[in-house]
Amino acid sequence: MTNVQVPRHFHLPPSATMAVDNANPTILSASELPSHRQRRFIKEAESKKHGIRELLTSKPTYASDPFYLSDSSDTDSDDTTAEPIDEQEIYDLLAPISDPEHPLSLESLGVVKLQDVHLTSPSDLTKPAALSHVRVELTPTVTHCSLATVIGLCVRVRLDQALPPSYRVEVKIKEGTHNTADQLNKQLADKERVAASLENEQIMALLRRMMKPCLETAEVGN
Amino acid sequence: MSSPSPHTISISHLADFKPPALSRAWVSIPNPNNIPLIATPTSDKTVRVYSLANFTLHSKLENAHDRSVRSVAWKPTSKRTSKMSVATGSFDATMGIWHRHEQFGAGSIAEQGVPNGDDDDAIEMEISSLGEAKPHRGQMRDDDESDTSTAEDWEYNIVLEGHDSEIKCVDYSPSAQYLASCSRDKSIWVWEEIGEDGEDEFETVAVLQEHDADVKCVCWRKDDGEGEVLASGSYDDTIRLWRGDDEGEWSCIAVLEGHDGTVWALQWEPEVVQKRFAVSHGTDNESEYIRRTARLLSSSADLTIRVWTKVPSPPPMNKPSYFSHGIPSTMRPGPSEETWKCTATLPKAHTLPIYSISWSQLSGRVASTSSDGQIVIYEEQTRGRTSVGGEIEREWVVIGILEGAHGPYEVNHVTWCKRYDSGRKSDSEEMLVSTGDDGAVRAWSVKETTQAN
Repeated sequence: MTNVQVPRHFHLPPSATMAVDNANPTILSASELPSHRQRRFIKEAESKKHGIRELLTSKPTYASDPFYLSDSSDTDSDDTTAEPIDEQEIYDLLAPISDPEHPLSLESLGVVKLQDVHLTSPSDLTKPAALSHVRVELTPTVTHCSLATVIGLCVRVRLDQALPPSYRVEVKIKEGTHNTADQLNKQLADKERVAASLENEQIMALLRRMMKPCLETAEVGN
Repeated sequence: MSSPSPHTISISHLADFKPPALSRAWVSIPNPNNIPLIATPTSDKTVRVYSLANFTLHSKLENAHDRSVRSVAWKPTSKRTSKMSVATGSFDATMGIWHRHEQFGAGSIAEQGVPNGDDDDAIEMEISSLGEAKPHRGQMRDDDESDTSTAEDWEYNIVLEGHDSEIKCVDYSPSAQYLASCSRDKSIWVWEEIGEDGEDEFETVAVLQEHDADVKCVCWRKDDGEGEVLASGSYDDTIRLWRGDDEGEWSCIAVLEGHDGTVWALQWEPEVVQKRFAVSHGTDNESEYIRRTARLLSSSADLTIRVWTKVPSPPPMNKPSYFSHGIPSTMRPGPSEETWKCTATLPKAHTLPIYSISWSQLSGRVASTSSDGQIVIYEEQTRGRTSVGGEIEREWVVIGILEGAHGPYEVNHVTWCKRYDSGRKSDSEEMLVSTGDDGAVRAWSVKETTQAN
């Protein structure tokens, strides 16, 4: 059976002809959102002052992402690298992801909230095998949202790719916000299912589209 | 929970198999036929076969699957043959059958692996072979140099189709009569090789569809007089046992419920443990132990490892003869259902899902590994009788823990494996082999430290 079907547990979004789950979502205004951008920009502006040489040595664009700098301890000006990753930075990774139905970010739809990002860092950082745990609770826009799985998958994939390998990521649907939260949580926790869905070109194309704004945000800093 | 017992085992790094895969490696399966090779399927759609003699790449199975190769199984052989066969299960929903012809002359890798006739295979070898066991280095180096040509040495003979979605696990039955595959499509397929050896004709003898969700693993039990039994573990949190009857009809003979999360791995109790804890027959002859049904070990996302034991079935009822009047003799009771219960839970040592367990055929020890990056070794120890004439009680204890076996990465698989490298102290020495998300396959030596009792 070479013709492999789309895994039925990671549904694609309804096509344009189909009715959207929530045609009229509540959109948070900018004043209601955490002020993470500003903080990020200040940091990046600072590093820019000292970082012209870095730019000239043509580092790949992702190098502007603080997480990728963790190994380059030789750079002189990088006080940002010593700073551990916090909830805010994890939130910043997820906030720009766009909803598959609306041209809106998960942040503005209130799907991802800063207070629902939980980070547990190891008590003993000197241990090489010390793991950090990230738990993100998502609030779907409606309790029957059929896209909750794909949004959850996108959040998990974004964090798996952006965070160092010592971070274990748990993506959950916030209690009481979805009819089938337990099922969704189990799927999103299943490493094998997540891995298999990433080998599905249709799903990957969709996830890339959802994550596109994340890359644009990162480029603003350059 | 009792106080943590002092660890009496140290796990130390022995070697990394080189070169490693650059993407996630799922499992590493040692060859069961005393050939010093181990096979590692990876998400780069290939299987790497490493030499256990020198921890380097021996050959590669490639250019066949469209997606991750998730699982691999060596075909067990009872007699010496020049052919190695492997089954691969992939996320592309297909299973492949591969062959490779090995030169079994003097100095071939198979013979170098068993320099002493300490098992049946080796005895047979000594009769049929003229060669002495020779150092493996030359041969292996040859193989490394001809690295580019090894790709065509493995022949991709046939593809077995039928599953609707990703295959999670494939396993050959110990007799090699059956091959089982399981998938996210909730089904288990049992295949039987028909026709002459080498004709590669497979027939589907059963499609078992009683699980409610993805079937994550399948594991065959050696025929103990009741036929080969297949165990399966699922995303539906249950374990099922399956057996074919005389007519070749396969059915579920037991459902094992108790786990509160996906069942990731299963292992049957090896013979060495069955013998060790056998009820004494009043003789010292260890072959006369009373045979019980092998126990089953399972590991789960619920962070537990459980031991399952068959509840002895009551003796067949001798019904009065008037009761059976009129029942045609051809009418036989349906597939006999068995009752299994969880008789032990191993001490909790992992903090994240337990992906793999291995029950040593040599020492009877259990090793486990998890998303938390630890390798843990357990031993079942005798506690003695607590009541006169009662059963001898046993207890599982943790005897060794290794943290961060693959640095910060998740460890997907661990297995006990016979050592064939020049550094081993005896021909029966065992090591552990772990497989991780970093693509690395690592060998670990296991040593006793001072007994802390």
